[in-house]
Amino acid sequence: MSGTPAVEMRDVHKRFGKLEVLHGVGLTVHRSDVVCLIGPSGSGKSTLLRCINFMESYDSGEVRIDGRLIGYRDEAGRRRPMPGRDLQKMRESIGMVFQHFNLWPHMTALGNVAEALVRVRKLPQAEATGRARAMLARVGLSDKETTYPARLSGGQQQRVAIARSLAMEPKLMLFDEPTSALDPELVGEVLQVMRSLAAEGMTMIVVTHEMGFAVSVATRIAFLDRGRIAADGTPRAVLHESEEPRVRQFLQTYHERNSF
Amino acid sequence: MKLAAVQEALPWLLHAAVATLWISLAGIALGQVLGGLICLCRVSRHRALARFGALYVSFFRGVPLLVQLLLVYYFLPYVGIDVPPLAAAIGSLGLASGAYSCEIYRGALTAIPRGQAEAAQALGFSAPAVWLRILLPQALRLSSPALVNELILLLKASSLISTVGVTELTRTSHTLAAATYRPFEVYLTAAAIYLAMNLVLAAAGGLAERRLAAGG
Amino acid sequence: MDFSVYLQYWPKLLSGFGETLLCWFAGAAFGIALGFAIALLRRLNIKPLQWLLRAIIEVVRGTPFLIQLYLLYDGGPAIGLKLQATQAGIVALGIYGSAYFAEIFRAGFAAVPVGQVEAAQSLGMSSSTILLRVRLPAMLVAIVPALTNMLIILSKETVVLSVITVPELMYQMQSMAAETFAAFETILAMALLYWLMVEAASRLGRAAEWRVTAYMRAA
Repeated sequence: MSGTPAVEMRDVHKRFGKLEVLHGVGLTVHRSDVVCLIGPSGSGKSTLLRCINFMESYDSGEVRIDGRLIGYRDEAGRRRPMPGRDLQKMRESIGMVFQHFNLWPHMTALGNVAEALVRVRKLPQAEATGRARAMLARVGLSDKETTYPARLSGGQQQRVAIARSLAMEPKLMLFDEPTSALDPELVGEVLQVMRSLAAEGMTMIVVTHEMGFAVSVATRIAFLDRGRIAADGTPRAVLHESEEPRVRQFLQTYHERNSF
Repeated sequence: MKLAAVQEALPWLLHAAVATLWISLAGIALGQVLGGLICLCRVSRHRALARFGALYVSFFRGVPLLVQLLLVYYFLPYVGIDVPPLAAAIGSLGLASGAYSCEIYRGALTAIPRGQAEAAQALGFSAPAVWLRILLPQALRLSSPALVNELILLLKASSLISTVGVTELTRTSHTLAAATYRPFEVYLTAAAIYLAMNLVLAAAGGLAERRLAAGG
Repeated sequence: MDFSVYLQYWPKLLSGFGETLLCWFAGAAFGIALGFAIALLRRLNIKPLQWLLRAIIEVVRGTPFLIQLYLLYDGGPAIGLKLQATQAGIVALGIYGSAYFAEIFRAGFAAVPVGQVEAAQSLGMSSSTILLRVRLPAMLVAIVPALTNMLIILSKETVVLSVITVPELMYQMQSMAAETFAAFETILAMALLYWLMVEAASRLGRAAEWRVTAYMRAA
């Protein structure tokens, strides 16, 4: 399997009604890659990310996870929706972290992390709790096990959300603007956790506006513009050497906004 | 199910439906006057008045309408007042409607930003002028959807006055059901008439709401 | 006013009160179960079924409870539905309540933030697990105020059952009023009793709301 990419998107199209948000996107992500998706708002970054675990269905093209098509299956040459069970199975190994954390407010931090281990992985309660504890420790929140999300800061909530995904031992992690909803002083703690994940060799796809993170952690940066990948390469290649006018314009706006 | 029974009952029921409509309209009209007054009490700075307003609302919303109806019905002769059942029934619907209307008005008033009244005061408006020119027009507009809803509730609730002998839609269907031995058909027809009246009211309410929204 | 009459009637009043509670509990339980079933069925994407359920809800909410009660109790035998007064009362309360409960549950489902469901989906949870573990707990908390309000409305509707001779409290009170000629005092007592009960119930409801939402409040 070592030759098979972790994620392979080919000519992916997606439209919402009349609006086409993805115009034939192609993206290949290998194991241990950390790919940052950047681009202007409305360029389709989040939609692209959500097609990877089929939170968003795509209209044509292919998204393959470890070589396996997600969301559809071929039946006598015709494409049919994948049975729910198979989709669930595939999602088990794809972690997703959301902009707004999306913790379940009626469960404690520990409960949030243990829930899928019990309900999806069918682990015995004691084992699930044990693993959930270890995950919370890993994101530095051992002292918040019995705390409900409403009493956690945004940064802490996002770390719990990361622990919740990690507990499932995913082969791939998707991050959808994980720090955009955070107060500036809380961004660092979340990025720190993501950095350590990258260092351990986790395959990650990250939609972000944090250029510093993209430059220092990403193995690749993909620049999305109006539903197309306009540039794709090492951070150096995309940010410093790209001739693509859209990229230059985006970076200029970014620097102007952040120079104060 | 016999259609003949429906056909036979229909003219009587339609006639009675008109009575139901008038009684409900009279009830809600009385309710608006009472509701406005009680609302003034509730938002008043005089503690006794505010307390009275709160008690009024809590009583008339807490006690089942049928009990209120009998209370009024028995109270009047008890204190030596002799009024026809119809008047007692409308009065009773009005008392209950007053409590609900009061809360609707109060809700609308609190929805108006405080700054508007303050701005008027700063311009030198007198207190009554603030009420008449600034608060009331907006409160009426804000509360009109809720009032249509209340009229629908009252129309349904008015069926209870059949139990004190007022001739309206429910009373008439009860009589017809017994006389024709076709209760199923008669009540079904009555239900359809109630439903039709309510749907028309709801549609008219929706229309008025859009008009008001467009005008504002 | 002469309240001594109550001493002699208290066993009847007590049984009437018991009957009231029975009708209320049973009717509410039936209504909640039916309303929940309707809300679940409405979530299925079957257009004709959705129209049908929507029509049923409109009909039940657009007609007076008393007419529904008459239709079931007096009209029922015509379609082979022979119920005793209490049974008819409970069924009618349940059907009446179900239309409102169904709307409450529907609004509750709609109030569950999409993100909480997406998080569960991204972890590979099945729809039934998501319903049980994510949607229901979030929804139940959101609907507590509407639910207690509807339960209180139903408790007030139980007095209407006296019209079809269900021997609940109102019925006992009225027969007592007729026998003692102390009609006004009796009804006044009834009104005060209900007022007290409804006030107590809404206070309990608010306390319950405070409790179930405790985890949602920041420290």
